[in-house]
Amino acid sequence: MACKDYKLSRRAMMGAAGASVFGLNIRDLLAYSSVHHPATAEQVILFWNGGGMSHIDTWDPKPGRPTQGEFNPINTSVPGMQISEIFPKLSKQMHNAALIRSIAGTQGAHGRASYNLQTSYLPGPIRHPGVGSVVVHELDNNSDLPPYITISGQAPQASYLGQSCEAYYVSAPGEKDPYLTFPEGITQVRGDRRLEQLAKFNQRFLNKKNDTRLTSTQTAIEDAVRLMRSPALEAFELDKVDAKTLERYGDTNFGRGALMARRLVERGVRFVQVNRGGFDTHSNNFPAMTNHGEVMDPALASLMEDLSESGMLEKTMVIMLSEFGRTPRINDNAGRDHWASVFSCFIAGGGIKGGQVIGSSDEDGAMPKDRPVQVADIHATLCHAMGIDHEKEVMTPLLRPMKLVDNGVPVKELFS
Amino acid sequence: MARTLLVALAAFCFLNSDIQAETIDSVLSAENSSLGVTKQSVGLVDDMAFVRRASVDLIGRIPTLEELAEYQSWPAEQRRDMLVDKLIDHPRFADRWTVFFADLLRLRSNVTGGSALIAHVNRSIREDLPYNEFASSLIATNGKAGRSPEVGFILGDNADPLAMASVTTQVFMGVRISCAQCHDHPFDIWTRKDFYSVAAYFGKTRRYESNFTRVVYTSEGEQTSVLWPPQDEAEESERKAMIPSFPFPMIDAEEKPEFIARYEALLKKKAEALAAVDNSPSLDDLLAAADGKVEAATGSGVDVAVAEAREEISKIDVKGSLYKRSEYRELLADQITSPRNRLFAESFVNRVWHDLVGRGFVEPIDDFREDNPPSHPQTLAYIADEFVGNGYSFKQLVKSIVQSDVYQLKQVPLGVNELEQEELEAAFLATPMRRMLSEALYDSIVTAGHLFDVKYRPGENERIIEQEVRVLLAAEGQPQDLATADVQDLAGAKPQMTNQAMANNNAGGAGYKLEEAIELDFDALLEEEDEVELDRMVAKSQEELEAERMQMENQRRPRPGMQYETKVVQRTVDDNPRFSSALRMATPAPVGHFVRVFGQTSRNDLGDIRDDNPSMRQSLMMLNGRLTHEASRVGTLEPVSKYLVSGKLQVEKAVQLVYHEILTRDPSADELAWAKELLAEAKSPQAGIADLRWVMLNSNEFRFLP
Repeated sequence: MACKDYKLSRRAMMGAAGASVFGLNIRDLLAYSSVHHPATAEQVILFWNGGGMSHIDTWDPKPGRPTQGEFNPINTSVPGMQISEIFPKLSKQMHNAALIRSIAGTQGAHGRASYNLQTSYLPGPIRHPGVGSVVVHELDNNSDLPPYITISGQAPQASYLGQSCEAYYVSAPGEKDPYLTFPEGITQVRGDRRLEQLAKFNQRFLNKKNDTRLTSTQTAIEDAVRLMRSPALEAFELDKVDAKTLERYGDTNFGRGALMARRLVERGVRFVQVNRGGFDTHSNNFPAMTNHGEVMDPALASLMEDLSESGMLEKTMVIMLSEFGRTPRINDNAGRDHWASVFSCFIAGGGIKGGQVIGSSDEDGAMPKDRPVQVADIHATLCHAMGIDHEKEVMTPLLRPMKLVDNGVPVKELFS
Repeated sequence: MARTLLVALAAFCFLNSDIQAETIDSVLSAENSSLGVTKQSVGLVDDMAFVRRASVDLIGRIPTLEELAEYQSWPAEQRRDMLVDKLIDHPRFADRWTVFFADLLRLRSNVTGGSALIAHVNRSIREDLPYNEFASSLIATNGKAGRSPEVGFILGDNADPLAMASVTTQVFMGVRISCAQCHDHPFDIWTRKDFYSVAAYFGKTRRYESNFTRVVYTSEGEQTSVLWPPQDEAEESERKAMIPSFPFPMIDAEEKPEFIARYEALLKKKAEALAAVDNSPSLDDLLAAADGKVEAATGSGVDVAVAEAREEISKIDVKGSLYKRSEYRELLADQITSPRNRLFAESFVNRVWHDLVGRGFVEPIDDFREDNPPSHPQTLAYIADEFVGNGYSFKQLVKSIVQSDVYQLKQVPLGVNELEQEELEAAFLATPMRRMLSEALYDSIVTAGHLFDVKYRPGENERIIEQEVRVLLAAEGQPQDLATADVQDLAGAKPQMTNQAMANNNAGGAGYKLEEAIELDFDALLEEEDEVELDRMVAKSQEELEAERMQMENQRRPRPGMQYETKVVQRTVDDNPRFSSALRMATPAPVGHFVRVFGQTSRNDLGDIRDDNPSMRQSLMMLNGRLTHEASRVGTLEPVSKYLVSGKLQVEKAVQLVYHEILTRDPSADELAWAKELLAEAKSPQAGIADLRWVMLNSNEFRFLP
């Protein structure tokens, strides 16, 4: 399955013909500046932390300020770089990772901000695809497995990039996907015989009718069967992983998600999104973040350790995003509220030079102090690393040209 | 300049249609000749293909054996017409076409007033409410969500004037002026000012929400919120209230084409009939009656009567002032739905034609403009004029299309190259290959597999399922009663599956939630006084979902001081699978659901079209899904079982029946031989038939219309 095969529908072709009638050349419309540069990353693991993760309690501590709250900063493997004490294990991996501490968001409501962070666009009359769909739209599939997989939650829709760029949904890591095996009670032999007979039946029909749509349906069946029979499917089977590894990542949904993400990229999956919620800490922020730390720290640290040890980190970008940060001010319920003016992100691998911090926020973590980074710059950076021209335009089925990323600029310092 | 051209073209069309034609086919064939088309039609489908095609198109599923038998019992020369009449009167007709309108109007059961609107649409189709009246009330109504189901339409876009300008024109006239919201239209004649002048009709309408009861309603404010010039073009102080105006071409008032005269005559007749029966009380009547009551009362009765009268009057007041009528929007509705607005009828006819014939006269179907003219303007105008002349009857329109030869055409024969195929299909001389609508595909599998009803006798289908049970240990270390324990399927319903009804249903189907259809009760939705409550339950915000998820996580977490034990228990269930109709389920279905995977859109975006390309996910769902699996299995109560009794096995009859049931045709001699072989290899005749049915349900022949 390769997303590039996505064909213009008849409707789109009719529309295209219409557009050319009154003088606009379709080739002009489709043209784009192709700035080629070598890719530094081939794969992405995106951790999506829904709800708005506090930046001060994670990547951007403010020691000595009233906004700091209950957590102390700790030193990391990078001299001078401190992060929150909720990440004791991960702190030893920071030489492999960069932090951006000056993301200047503009959206303070969950819906709009999530949309913005996941697509680079703001919501409008057209639904924009998520960045994962963009990546698999532009790059070939290297694997029998679906090129784009989302774990423990839904990924944004592919929209005008077409159905073949939708994420493959795994409801919980390690959980069996019933659609990958024959139904209960159907043996391998019987199932295979059914498939064989189905191919015969469809061929007979094709001998009576000729239509390209019939052959493409057959291709989709073959893709499905290839996946069902692929040895790469073992990436989904966490019960085959030794107990020690499972324990290292943590016996949590998130830990298993991170582990599964590793196993998927090892088998060539382009884009894996691991979802986690519960960051909307309007009250009791600190116990909640302690808990998040306990869950995330072993998982992220083990993932970084394993990827760097195997060398996979060189071509795998690991990035953690959330829709916004949280208020420097601690409210009356010991919580923090939505804060979009400045927040941080964790980004590593795939050509990112580890051990650096891009930008900073002011002394209270309220506003960007230097090197503000726009939300779309993060998407541009990701595309840049993957060798994708983020300014490329694609046509929607209604023939509106849309850029892959909404006018971002790659943060080039990350790569130097 | 462009508009006058369009009007001139329109005027030319109606003159011509009057002289030329009595049927769609004769108009089309004359127009094809005038366009220089020399090719001949590929001919009509046979009776069996027709009944399959028409059933799927009109009632959203393949025909049953009984329906086939009845159809074949009718006289050959009348059976197609009789079938069409029967299908249009079928209860499923309204359900099937609710899906069409749901796509058109972007109906969503999870937005405020959405469910009631879907139910209203369903009823309007059933009762054949004239399309112009239907559209008018959607455009103009103010009122409470749910109670006045029509307001669901503008609440779907939060009654935002700019959004409504785009939506109303694109949906009801097939004109895309939305691009002109931000800049003059690149492909079209519409300017930004045109856009704002349409938006201005919605300028005084407001969405209100009571903080206390959370009741949502629309009403009119004093000031318009639509100002000109736009925000980015002028200082705030320079911006003035925009005057609404209608920039679209209308047939001149002096002209009276035949179809308008016919429509007006029809209207007059209807008004007379209505006046004869209309004795419902007017406001004046109510007041007079109240006065009467007070006068008639004597002594102590007076107080009661006065109180009653007051209450009645206050009711009227509350209603009257709360939901002010929108004069602007009534004006807009009048203009959009006027018989003099050709775009209204033509864009709708084009959509219905596209749905039934597989290709619109104008493509894309919502892009009517000068530079994108219809392929057959006279035919389109003819059908549209008939539609208006028949009083905008939707059922009549569908009937006239389905009874035409065009609808009944075959697909191109083998050996025709792609270029020639395109020529034939473009001239409506051959029918394009169409895949069933996702909802119809779902329901057709359910029909073929006898899954609307129970197909096993009680006890025949028992199976053992395993459940993980977390048991709270009492102080002495004794497990509590299992009934109070926290039961969870091994595969577990995940909180991400937002539709709670869906997550809770079907004991045997853990892991297959994406194939279930939970029907909405349309009638109940319209009767419900406070349907808003239901809307609220369905339309959970992200935050609410988040809170629920956290709550669930917390519940799983052992409470301090309590001890739990996890046990796997086995439980026997009599798993007689039944499936409901996908036509009536809450829409849009969850992401990843069968009907979404096969093309139902999210209905978020204006102009969203169904993607009917095949995908791997579709294949996985069909090959390994529960629906196809259960549909394939042979139930003892099914007709085919009588041919599979050991000792009295009638293989040929069984295969024949399966072909009739699933593919609506006889097997060929080759196919019969192939099927027999397949059965011979199987462990039992039942297993063989199940394999055969599985293959057929998965085949291209099944999902593409004949």
